[in-house]
Amino acid sequence: MTVDIGLIESLDILADLKYVEMEQLTSLMRKMKVTEGEVITRRGDGAHAFFIVFSGDFMVSFNDGRAITLHNKGDIIGCSTVVAPFNYTGTATALTNGEVLSMPGQDFLSLIKSDPALSDKIMKKINMIISERSPFLGTVTR
Amino acid sequence: MFGLDAISTHNGWHMAALGISIVFTGLVLLSIAVAQIHKILQIYDKRDTYIKRIKNIFRKKNNLESNSSDLSLSEKVNGAVSQCRILIDKMGEPFSLPRLINLSEKYGMSHPYSTINDLINAGFIVPDGKGYFLWNQDDKKIIRL
Repeated sequence: MTVDIGLIESLDILADLKYVEMEQLTSLMRKMKVTEGEVITRRGDGAHAFFIVFSGDFMVSFNDGRAITLHNKGDIIGCSTVVAPFNYTGTATALTNGEVLSMPGQDFLSLIKSDPALSDKIMKKINMIISERSPFLGTVTR
Repeated sequence: MFGLDAISTHNGWHMAALGISIVFTGLVLLSIAVAQIHKILQIYDKRDTYIKRIKNIFRKKNNLESNSSDLSLSEKVNGAVSQCRILIDKMGEPFSLPRLINLSEKYGMSHPYSTINDLINAGFIVPDGKGYFLWNQDDKKIIRL
């Protein structure tokens, strides 16, 4: 399902973007329904897609049984799509039925690489989220 | 035939009585309506208050419906509380959330993901800030709420 720009305007991660930049991102986005217990990303797998939570609750589990839960619209899953070595560091599971906006990892990365201004805005937010989550990663095995 | 005989023969008296009673009934009803005009005007003057009252009645009905759905949610949560406490006692604290979900599934909890999510949202299960989770020591307060 394609995504209308009106749906993403309010998302925190995209708050500073210009309309044109949002248009570029929405052209990559697809709205995806997920069901309770569905695994969206698996730790160690190649990071093939970047997800933005649209509705529902999610758990991202890391090494040593550590986990965080995501309950807010705009939370992101799959930061590894834009961070080397491009493998998921956590397993994301839907705790409830919900919807996510997904973007193919390669296309998202290419877009960011081709537009320094966009890259600067998005990477600033993604780095912030990575630094918040890094204490939960434990001993990362790849 | 003329005069009173003609009136009697053609039910004139009955028709006169019926006419009089219709007219008088109309007059009585009219006088009652006139006597109550002040009340009608009062209702018209306070129409905003009455509209609000009617709206409140509908709101109360809607609240009752949402409260009943909250009740069913709290019943579901309260049912899961005892099950999870046993598992958490077994695992020790702080505990791993994915492991709790796995164990809950193993021990036959229906919808373990959403049920444990409900417990997190209700404040029974809280993160310890290091990636693990704790059972909220104030759970009795939560149950009373």
